[in-house]
Amino acid sequence: MKKVFLFLAAMIPLTVFAAGNPGFGERKYSVSGLAEYSYNTTWGHHANFDIQGLMPINPHFEMEAKMHLSTANVYTGSVYLRPKFELPVGELFIETDVMYRAVARNKIGDITAALGVGYRMDYVSVTLGMFGRVFDNWERDWHSNETYVVEPFNMLYRLEVFCRPQANPWNLSFVFTNVDDKHMERMWQPLFMVNAYYDVVEHWRLLFGAQCKPTGMFHLDASFYGASLRTGFSYRF
Amino acid sequence: MKQIHFLSTIVCALLLSACGQNKDATLDMLGMFSPNGEVVNTRFANSQEYNAQRGEMHIDMQSDDYAIYVCSDSHITKKTHRNLDYFMAQYKAASSPKLALHLGDIIDAQENFPCADSIIHFAGQTIKDTMLVTLGNHDIYFKQWSIFRSFFKTSAYWFDTRNGSKKLDLFICLDSAEGTLGTTQTKWLENLLKEKSKEGYRHIIVYTHTHLWKLDGSQGHTSNMALEETYSFTDMLGKYGVQYVWSGHQHARQSVIFKGVNYLVLDATKDEEKGQSYMTVNMGSSIIYHYHTYPAL
Repeated sequence: MKKVFLFLAAMIPLTVFAAGNPGFGERKYSVSGLAEYSYNTTWGHHANFDIQGLMPINPHFEMEAKMHLSTANVYTGSVYLRPKFELPVGELFIETDVMYRAVARNKIGDITAALGVGYRMDYVSVTLGMFGRVFDNWERDWHSNETYVVEPFNMLYRLEVFCRPQANPWNLSFVFTNVDDKHMERMWQPLFMVNAYYDVVEHWRLLFGAQCKPTGMFHLDASFYGASLRTGFSYRF
Repeated sequence: MKQIHFLSTIVCALLLSACGQNKDATLDMLGMFSPNGEVVNTRFANSQEYNAQRGEMHIDMQSDDYAIYVCSDSHITKKTHRNLDYFMAQYKAASSPKLALHLGDIIDAQENFPCADSIIHFAGQTIKDTMLVTLGNHDIYFKQWSIFRSFFKTSAYWFDTRNGSKKLDLFICLDSAEGTLGTTQTKWLENLLKEKSKEGYRHIIVYTHTHLWKLDGSQGHTSNMALEETYSFTDMLGKYGVQYVWSGHQHARQSVIFKGVNYLVLDATKDEEKGQSYMTVNMGSSIIYHYHTYPAL
């Protein structure tokens, strides 16, 4: 784990100060706000609010910060550092994420850290990587035998297929993954998403998203667990 | 294009293998996309119907101290059930007051419940000196819930052990065969724990098939509950003073303490599996458990 942190620490300054050609897909500074209706069989019906900021600092590096607030009394904050390298076809990127989920309703902290490699083209984006997780009980007695629960190795995957090229003023995509803006699920707990955007006017982008979360797919006994629908705006500077 | 053809051939083969024609098929691949027959809420309703007819189950151990033999994931077929035979022989030979629990995945392939019956001699989860079971995902593949039900009657129930009129320990069996407890079972569990945690039981034990944590790569492709359910379930168990959760599913032993609850995952009892073992638990004022390796062939 120490080696991973050292690697990340060394990589960040290198990529921040690097310079080069404009990035793939014309990523711009943007701020987004989304409202989400969500249901799962554990928390029932609830609403979520997302605030997200994208900072393509230079053509080889972008940062993203996300905050997810839920009426289920769960709050998530995440930071993404994304070094990227333009290739003759598409773009290669390294995904480094840290996410903290404060599950206040159950007094549990869930922190995850991920490292992945991705490749993005006009119609397809693929990311593969690993992440580690630590569950912490907020009420833990420091004098007891109880410690953190550590799940050191999980696989991260995300396959997104787009209907239009990435620079298009509208797009629709289908996603198969185990990570989203609010959690990193165990590798055998996939999520299915449909995302869309439409550039209404020069700076404003309308966002839509839907997600379905089954349970027990790899028990070979899948059933419905949860779903969500969201919409919002993105202001692109 | 060749790769797509190759992949589609594999997918078709897996799906065809899931059609139930092959009686030795062990995996119901269609279950990746839809439930294997009745979903957990329906199974829970069926179980509660039986529990209500049967009445409360109190097992008089005639002693404060007794032993529990616990095994999991026997995956028996008509051809191979050596370890489960051994487990039952050890259990029957024990002289102290005793109980036995099976944590699910009793069978591996279809049509093996009669064989399981002949080995473990269950009697509708009611009679002392027999094995009480929980439901595993393999037990319901190919829509086998009705068959499981005809033998074991219920997949979610509670019972307690007593010494005469003195209450000893509370045991709660949960149906997690499809990786979730479902809405009605979760509500039932919370109400049950709320009520029973005030009744002065010495220990409260929960047993179920699906394990909760993914501590390492030993679990292969077996999945856990969704994260939201993991948070909620573990919080509930901690809040009401559950001391142990025993589960199987991943075929490799694990031990975790979270929110004051000890989560023990058992090795498999499946023949020819690496690292097979079962667990014996001495129930007294404290709980002491040991793992026992099955003898090699």
